Amino acid sequence: MSTTPVPRPLDDDAVDALLLDTTPWLSCDDCFAQIDTYVEALLAEPSHRDTAMEHHLRGCAACDEEARSLTALVVDHASATLRD
Amino acid sequence: MTAVKDEPRPHEPADGTDGAYGVVDRVTRDSTTRTRSADEPADWVAALTSTGPDQVVAMRQLHQLMLRAAAYQVWRMRGALPDASPGVVDVIVNQAADEAMTALLGKLGTFEGRSRFTTWAFKFAILQASCDVRRLQWQHRDVELRDLDLAHLPAAEHLNPEQQAEGTDMAGAVAVAMHRVLTPHQRRIAIALLVDGVPVDVLAQRLATNRGALYKTVHDARTRLRAELTAMGYLHATPNTRTTRSTPSSTPAGTL
Repeated sequence: MSTTPVPRPLDDDAVDALLLDTTPWLSCDDCFAQIDTYVEALLAEPSHRDTAMEHHLRGCAACDEEARSLTALVVDHASATLRD
Repeated sequence: MTAVKDEPRPHEPADGTDGAYGVVDRVTRDSTTRTRSADEPADWVAALTSTGPDQVVAMRQLHQLMLRAAAYQVWRMRGALPDASPGVVDVIVNQAADEAMTALLGKLGTFEGRSRFTTWAFKFAILQASCDVRRLQWQHRDVELRDLDLAHLPAAEHLNPEQQAEGTDMAGAVAVAMHRVLTPHQRRIAIALLVDGVPVDVLAQRLATNRGALYKTVHDARTRLRAELTAMGYLHATPNTRTTRSTPSSTPAGTL
């Protein structure tokens, strides 16, 4: 059975999302191409900055979820490797 | 309306929880970037493109990596699954791992060694598993590509009358700007993704397009909206390009 979502209001979160500054431009394909090096750079040096990547991740929920997951998995994998 | 607050760095989760990036502090930096399992190939690409037993072993190890990453991602997103029983999860994980491995092998020649091979490999499985879970989450849900109805905007609820007035004013200004500077296509895509919360992969599948094309549409829409809201006096840019949202009456003259 299919359901139709109820239209949501333009609440503060929606307004913020619509007005988010996602410049400089970075495509989802470019994000995917760079995310492994970005994650490792962040893990090696938490003060690492990449403005285009940061703004893309703020503006793309799917890429952001995957970046967070990759970060956690890399740490988990490294910890497991050290235990072995 | 409160000003747009400073965004947290990616490793500082906005939700105040430990989050994925928060684990950075719990491990040493060396352990995340310089370790390699003793039984991993020293050169994954060479092993995977070799022939004979070395390739068979490398393929098997790569599949294990894909399974691990897919399982990790599906577990993280299990709350979104209509059926998260072990049998169903196992099928999703295996299918995602297989598809991710195929995608990875097709791009093996593009691996430049700028990250560890395992990190590079994990991202394929995470992407595939994420997309699969989101599509399953929405498989029985319609996606409505609606336009904004200026005459019947549903009101957002705020904590007090002042915030209510500011929020309503800002939402109204955004709605007017959307009609003024966005195309009907840009409005519908922006509303679906940013207001109604339709996952980008799901919308891409329904529209027979891809994530990148939809993100570009939203990026362009955001750029146009920001320019229009600035012209209307609702946004003003600061020298470091960050912006603060304010009502026109509170915006100092000459700051736009």
